[in-house]
Amino acid sequence: MIRNITQKERISSIRDKRFIILGSIILILLLTSAATGIINYRVLAAERKLAQSTATENFNNQPDRHPHRVAHYGSYAFRPKSVLSFLDFGLDSYTGTMVYLEAHQQNSANFSQVQQSGAMIRFGEMTIAFVMQWLIPLLIIFLCFNTFTLEHEEGTLKVLLSQGVSMKAIAKAKLLGYIHVISMIIFPAFFFVFLFVLSMNNFLLDGDLLLRTAVFMLTYLLYFFIFITGSILISAVNKHSRTALVTLLGIWIFSIVLMPKALSNLGSSFYEEPSKAAMDASVHEESKNGIDGHDPLDKRLAQFKQGLLEKYQVDSLSQLPVNVDGLIMALGEESSSQIYQEHFDELVAIYEDQNRLSVWAGFINPYLAIRNISMSMAGTDFFHYVDFLNAAEKYRYALTQHLNNLQATKVAHKDKTTRLSADIYATYPPFYYKGPAFTKALANVAVSIVALAFWTALIYGLIILTMNKKKNLI
Amino acid sequence: MYLMKTILEAEGLSKMYGEKTALDALNLKLSTGEIFSLLGPNGAGKSTTINLFLGFIQPSAGAARINGIDASKDPVGIKQHLAYIPEQVMLYQNLSGRENLALLSALAGYEYSQAELDQFLVNAGLQSDAIHKRVGSYSKGMRQKVGIAAAVAKNAKVLLLDEPTSGLDPKASNEFSELLLRLSQAGTTIFMATHDIFRAREVSQRIGIMKAGSLIDQIEAGNLNAGELEQLYLDYMKS
Repeated sequence: MIRNITQKERISSIRDKRFIILGSIILILLLTSAATGIINYRVLAAERKLAQSTATENFNNQPDRHPHRVAHYGSYAFRPKSVLSFLDFGLDSYTGTMVYLEAHQQNSANFSQVQQSGAMIRFGEMTIAFVMQWLIPLLIIFLCFNTFTLEHEEGTLKVLLSQGVSMKAIAKAKLLGYIHVISMIIFPAFFFVFLFVLSMNNFLLDGDLLLRTAVFMLTYLLYFFIFITGSILISAVNKHSRTALVTLLGIWIFSIVLMPKALSNLGSSFYEEPSKAAMDASVHEESKNGIDGHDPLDKRLAQFKQGLLEKYQVDSLSQLPVNVDGLIMALGEESSSQIYQEHFDELVAIYEDQNRLSVWAGFINPYLAIRNISMSMAGTDFFHYVDFLNAAEKYRYALTQHLNNLQATKVAHKDKTTRLSADIYATYPPFYYKGPAFTKALANVAVSIVALAFWTALIYGLIILTMNKKKNLI
Repeated sequence: MYLMKTILEAEGLSKMYGEKTALDALNLKLSTGEIFSLLGPNGAGKSTTINLFLGFIQPSAGAARINGIDASKDPVGIKQHLAYIPEQVMLYQNLSGRENLALLSALAGYEYSQAELDQFLVNAGLQSDAIHKRVGSYSKGMRQKVGIAAAVAKNAKVLLLDEPTSGLDPKASNEFSELLLRLSQAGTTIFMATHDIFRAREVSQRIGIMKAGSLIDQIEAGNLNAGELEQLYLDYMKS
């Protein structure tokens, strides 16, 4: 019985020009956005790989220099593009891609796509995620809004019911029918996306990549299920197609356009983050009051020097077996890095508080849940960005301390003329970054996944409950 | 010959919408193979009666039974025994006549071969070259025929018809009457709400006249000619 109605819905939809036109447009958009995403990925990934290798080459091929000069010459950390970033650009276009790594200073990531592109990019990009989060729900709404109301208006519902079918069976059959219909668009697109993913990894099976792709696809299927079921439900509780359509479009505008923006503003109001200038000033101020390698008047610096003299039982700094300048630099770096890291962690915590609003709001709005999951699986969310910044800072600190150690052990006190061979610097390993593992990314969006599952159960429960309540009454 | 078994029964059947009485304590029994027509103006309660037998609305009092099943208690089960043909037989425009019939039969629990489906449609009077065409191109009469074919394919014991000849041309209307008589002879009980006094008298054994929710008279159709029936009806409406 259910199979027959399902089949009828499928045949009717396929013969419906509305579906053919809209479905074709969506499929073309999906494939186009996949293709442009891949081109974008390949260009940017190649650019960053080249930039990173150039930076490493420049670092390795610098002339013989004093270690502290090298520490200020610095290096660069380029954020590699996540392979799946072609699915969802997420924050990638707005976050910096390169960090200049130097002594005493933690620089921000620069050169975001937005900084380098025209103003149009601010209106959003055509990505697979955009098509799936915004446009496919619209297609679903246009397909399903009149699934029950049209039966009401044309009198076919009575004909169906008079055959001895229950409202619940009709609703289930329609649900299955529309799942089949939407699958005709989604599955070919998913198949091509899967091929693209494999091709970008040279057809080698990478567990992390496959798991991310699987979660990406499965959670989108749940998202579409929620919209299909919701649209059928709204159609079932309204008498007129126009009312059902207006209601559904209202829900779409509220949940996809208005609510995310409102929550973002609300988050910024509740949890105000300090400006970059204010944070830098605080770090500077606190560093100044602590031990600063460039501040000979600092009390703690004097204590440190005195401690060294006592430790090595010598009368002057020049008698020390190590270069005190390097040790002071190392100590200053340790102190300023610790202060910076504390401020940075506080800043990240504020951003996370802001984001947490959107994460928990996934229980009110499934769009917010899928948006988080989608960005996370694509490796383009805030969590992945912060992970890169932390990796860059970790590298910067280690490199600086390595150079400070060279200064302490290979250069004499107050000797500013000695140059160490570039070969010594070239032995230091270049910056290499690999993003967080799938399990970490998954754990980071666990709440959003639960929210999506909650919505799936809720909407299915609601439609069954509504149909049971309607019984067979018209 | 069929045994004169009561197959359709209304017992004190009433329906109130707030203060308004749509149907007032209807008592009626139809036997196997009987054709009963219900005459009355718009709003008299004819369609309400049919909707109560279909279980689409709940009665305020009384019971509507078909083959002993109470429509309000088992609205799905009762439909195994009945077929319903509304004034406008609404079918799925994007499906052909054959596909519509296949769907409706399957929903009633009957799976037929393509040849069997075509035979039902041809027997109901649909031209064979129209069977595979989409229903969107069908006339009202053609859709009625698909409806009849669905009723026959379902092996329905009772046929509920709501203004079935309204809008049909005389030829189609005549063909429809002939179909009803054939079904009746085959044992199908037919309950028809109509404005068409001439057709009602032509096909029915009994005719009920309904006004303001009450069944005010029941007439043996053979006792009056069409003119006398029309006059009687008009007299009731004036009073």
